[in-house]
Amino acid sequence: MPPPPNISHPGIMAIDITDQFTSAVGALSAGELVKDEHFTLFESVSGLEIMDRKMDSGALDEGESLDEEYDVTRSLLPEEIIGILDQLLCLEMAWHLGYPLSQTLLTSVYIDALMKPGFLDADDFTSIPSDLSMEALLPLVLRAYCYGLIKSCFIVNECMKEELYYEEEDFVTNTYERNFLGDTPVLAVKGLLQTALTELRAPREDFSQEIRAALESRIELRIAFLDAIDLSTIRNDTSELPKLPWKRMRHLIDAIEKQHALGKPVPEAFSTKLQRRLASTMPPRPMVSLSFDECITHFKRFFQNGNEVLDVLQYTGPHSLLNFVLMFQAQKPQPLVFIRTVLQNLLFKDMVVLGRFSVRQLLDHDVSLNVLPCGPHFDRSFDDVEVMTDPRHKLASGMEVFRHRVADQYFDLLRILCQNRCRVRRTLCHHIREWDALEADVGEIEGHLQAPLHEMEWIVQLGFELRVYQPDEFAGMYHYLKRLAALRARQIEQVKQTTTRREERARRHLNVQKDDSLPLDIAHEFSQSKQCQRMTMIDAACTWEFSDGLSLLYMALLRLGLVKPPPRPYGTGALRYELRMRPFARVPDPPLPTYEEFRQEVELSDVPVVDVLHIAEGAVGAARKGLEACVRLDQDQSFAINATAHSRWVSNAKDCLRATIATSVAISTLKHAYDRMIERFRDEGKEGEVDKCGKPEYADLLNLKIEIPEPGDGYHDWWIVPKLTRLK
Amino acid sequence: MNEAPTKAEAEAYIKSLINKTLRVHATDGRMFIGTFKCTDTDRNIVLSLTYEYRQPSQQKLAEAAAIAMSENSQTVKADMASRYLGLIVIPGEHIVKIEVEEFASQIKSRSIWERRDIYSSTR
Repeated sequence: MPPPPNISHPGIMAIDITDQFTSAVGALSAGELVKDEHFTLFESVSGLEIMDRKMDSGALDEGESLDEEYDVTRSLLPEEIIGILDQLLCLEMAWHLGYPLSQTLLTSVYIDALMKPGFLDADDFTSIPSDLSMEALLPLVLRAYCYGLIKSCFIVNECMKEELYYEEEDFVTNTYERNFLGDTPVLAVKGLLQTALTELRAPREDFSQEIRAALESRIELRIAFLDAIDLSTIRNDTSELPKLPWKRMRHLIDAIEKQHALGKPVPEAFSTKLQRRLASTMPPRPMVSLSFDECITHFKRFFQNGNEVLDVLQYTGPHSLLNFVLMFQAQKPQPLVFIRTVLQNLLFKDMVVLGRFSVRQLLDHDVSLNVLPCGPHFDRSFDDVEVMTDPRHKLASGMEVFRHRVADQYFDLLRILCQNRCRVRRTLCHHIREWDALEADVGEIEGHLQAPLHEMEWIVQLGFELRVYQPDEFAGMYHYLKRLAALRARQIEQVKQTTTRREERARRHLNVQKDDSLPLDIAHEFSQSKQCQRMTMIDAACTWEFSDGLSLLYMALLRLGLVKPPPRPYGTGALRYELRMRPFARVPDPPLPTYEEFRQEVELSDVPVVDVLHIAEGAVGAARKGLEACVRLDQDQSFAINATAHSRWVSNAKDCLRATIATSVAISTLKHAYDRMIERFRDEGKEGEVDKCGKPEYADLLNLKIEIPEPGDGYHDWWIVPKLTRLK
Repeated sequence: MNEAPTKAEAEAYIKSLINKTLRVHATDGRMFIGTFKCTDTDRNIVLSLTYEYRQPSQQKLAEAAAIAMSENSQTVKADMASRYLGLIVIPGEHIVKIEVEEFASQIKSRSIWERRDIYSSTR
């Protein structure tokens, strides 16, 4: 952005050409434009139209004054200070929810006043009157709060800009060229807040205990906030210490909620008119009005999530790390974008994983846990072997090449998982293609990180969560999910066998007798690997069985006319298949079946309805058994970082389990209704007319009502279970 | 150009102004300074890289006057409030005055040379 022109530079003169200009344009013919040849009309469309009230934030109404009508030095009641601070809290949350500062915090005349040049001189922080009467104390509290808020915004904004997020979709970092105390040390701001707090706590009789407590908790919140977001020190600290400010804020927000009624709103201290002084071509936009209750609800969750996200620092292994990220992000509602950014910061800032580990450590740990326990590949002493023909040198350099190739891909996946749900799905679609290029390269190292298949499953499952598919497509999409999960299970089976062979080899190598156990460290590494493989196997198997069951159920519903395809005058099954499978079509392995193959697999057109439901019942029952086993796994077995992560994991498994139970119920309801219908046909002597494979006309004879839950209404977002009820 | 110019003269004159810096004053008292890009017969003006300027508020003027009084100064100095807007279109009906910026060194006329700059500002 160019600096503002110096309008009173002595070397530049402004010459009035109003008359010449007016008569010259008068001579032009209608519709004629005189313009810079490089200037296109297309560009002019993006121009801001002056005096158009919808676009020009600077336009004034008739008789409206240019002056700021609000005097920031006016004296306020303590109740009014509380009112203003609570409104600021609402605006701050609105910003975190994704609205720009221009519509939130920058509508406050106090924030605006503090940002004016000249106000941010260092001595402002120390200029505290020695004799603090109430008249002097209240402005100090307000000013300290605002400075604390502005500095927090600065830190949040900087943190956001360093990580991956989607500008204007998740968050708006635009500061409209305002100075958010970027150069002021946090300590100075905290010092001012601390002074305000000390003064508030000093004995005085000019206002009530309640009011004083309300002001105190608000100032304390600002101090705790600044402590909480000091990530540079937090990421190196695995103790409980970094969690304290988040916990503190969680308590303070409860107090603030209760004290809110003491406040008295000062609506005139907030104005969208301030937008006309912001460096922006944005048309004027209304202030975002978040109710105080909503604001508090969001803050509670925000602080809770902030506390919990720090658990990631208690790294125990790559599998539990992935589980943590997956489960943390699957929360409904999803943690706020700033929390998701904090997670990214903790994970990768400066290529240091969780403040303690190198990229190599994490990658080696992952490969060793998943596929190569006790592999010589991770022996660091091999790095020093320089003889080119030495197998150790070959192994070490091979691993180095491997790490180089997969590192980006590996970390990208974690980063993708930190995004908003729609973006997770979309970016995974791109990510799986890149894995595949790698897969071909690193095939010689027996490890494949198994991510591609699992990622493909996630893409389909997120498609269900985000309601990408229509009910009549469910049968097909669950079937495809089944294919993917089945392939993954087969892959894990191979790895399991390799691991068993390697363990036997290790026994032979170390001369361990049949009934004796391996040395402790080696035994531990093998058992960890086997547990990890067992876990992924259960996961793949449950997905496989459950998706198979649901696919068959939806197929039966489709055949019986209970799920009807909407009219699609221009659509064909083949086109829709191409569209749905586009993300997977470019991945060579596993190859995508042709539409015709796929259709036959899904439709099973010669299998009678009764049999379809019978197979479905078996599959869902198997998934249910698997999930029942999952629910009972303890923290270590389930690869959970800590108790919170474990309970999140268990509750996810329980939701899946409930979904399987509901599916079984739906299947048996449908079976009974179908049997009753057949009986009626028999009673009427029309048994011979029954189409055993079902037809849409039967929908009316089944006497069933079908409901497909909306997003968030079902037991689990990935498993959409239809609800069937018998009509009277 | 006191008499009505011919179409060719008019076009040549406007073309000569293209890409010069114009100061366009609007009916509500604001002034826009930007690079002249385009106009039409309705006197709609497109400026790029535009800054908006506002006259100082009454309150600011009063403060400035007080300072001038205390310093025994003859002139009152107050900053105009400015902000960046970028590309704008000013409809002809809202324009009250148009000025072109020229380098003082390139202007021969003594009368213009002596004209005082009305915007007394340090920024």
